[in-house]
Amino acid sequence: MSPNTVLEASAALYVALAVALAVWFAVFVYLWRIDAQARELKRALEQQRDQEHIRPAHPKATLTRVNGEAVERENGDAVTR
Amino acid sequence: MAQHMAQVGKLLIGIWMAGVVVAMFAIVPQYEGLGNAGRIIIMHVPTAWVSVVAFALSALFSGLYLWKRNPVYDDYALAAAEGGFLFTALATVTGMIFSEVVWGVYWNWDPRQTSIFVLLLIYAALFALRSALDDVQRRRQLSAVYSLFAFVTVPFLVFVAPRMAESTLHPNCVFIQGSHCDGITLEVGRLGLLGDRKIELLELERDGDVVTAQVLVSEPGLATETLLRPSFNLATGTMMDRPEFPGVRYQLGLERVDLATNSGLLNIEAPGSGVLANRTTLFTFLASTGAFTALFFWMLHVRATLLGVAWRLAQREGIRL
Repeated sequence: MSPNTVLEASAALYVALAVALAVWFAVFVYLWRIDAQARELKRALEQQRDQEHIRPAHPKATLTRVNGEAVERENGDAVTR
Repeated sequence: MAQHMAQVGKLLIGIWMAGVVVAMFAIVPQYEGLGNAGRIIIMHVPTAWVSVVAFALSALFSGLYLWKRNPVYDDYALAAAEGGFLFTALATVTGMIFSEVVWGVYWNWDPRQTSIFVLLLIYAALFALRSALDDVQRRRQLSAVYSLFAFVTVPFLVFVAPRMAESTLHPNCVFIQGSHCDGITLEVGRLGLLGDRKIELLELERDGDVVTAQVLVSEPGLATETLLRPSFNLATGTMMDRPEFPGVRYQLGLERVDLATNSGLLNIEAPGSGVLANRTTLFTFLASTGAFTALFFWMLHVRATLLGVAWRLAQREGIRL
């Protein structure tokens, strides 16, 4: 085996190492970002769900007192039931 | 705190895997006879191992879904099956690269290649089944049942079927120290595959009680051929001359002779020449197995979380998934 062939073989090995490391770095960064986004989405959804359980997102009616009497209003108008 | 630990763990997986890659190319010594191609075992075997773990987990979560009817289990079952499919594909591709370098062909329907191909088809059918069913409950139930049945085939296809064949290119026994290969029975004039070598039994010559076989051995890559002459003593029923394969430490033995059918059982003798006998290679191999397993669990968790989020969003928006 000539010295040149040895040099080429070892160079090819380091090229393969560099490519494999680059691929792994790309996969790792991609997975890290997807993971962070998935966690953020899950957290936001859970927060939203918890808020919806505590109070309705859009109150349909309000209760006010007129002359000491409770009046239910929907969109500003008094509701009779 | 747990969140912080999880982030540290993920960073460690990144560093750990990078270390395995560096060790695989720069630290692990060349395997005699296979050269740099032997390094691929550091990636090939762990990916195959992880695929078995993944399919087992998929079956486990499918069973849990059928028992508890919790959609989270279905998410994990699907994520595990997808991970298993991905890692099986990786094992297949790395095996094909090894095959091309060593035997000069990417694919030759070797028993191991055929069984892994069937396994890929079985799990591809699971994904086809899922995408074909619109009703979510029905999809979850049927795919859980399918996944359980699919896993029944995994031990057979991964561990049993390739070993039932009389000869396979897949070098199980030659790599592992102390193990014994099954060998191959050849009639005179027939070709066969022994370990990573193509062999042809040219002739059986009898001289008294000693039978000598003339075996034409092709080098991995089929570049050169060498004539080897293992011999067998009919009186004692023992092997005599066991010539070494060129460039490697394992030998060719003639284990049995049947002169009536003009055939002989040829086998590889591997006296401690296993690639994993080297301590550095063994540690790198174990580190790689750990790194790929950890990577799989991280991927499983991410994918299952995404499936859960997608399901909740679809429920909110009234979209059918």
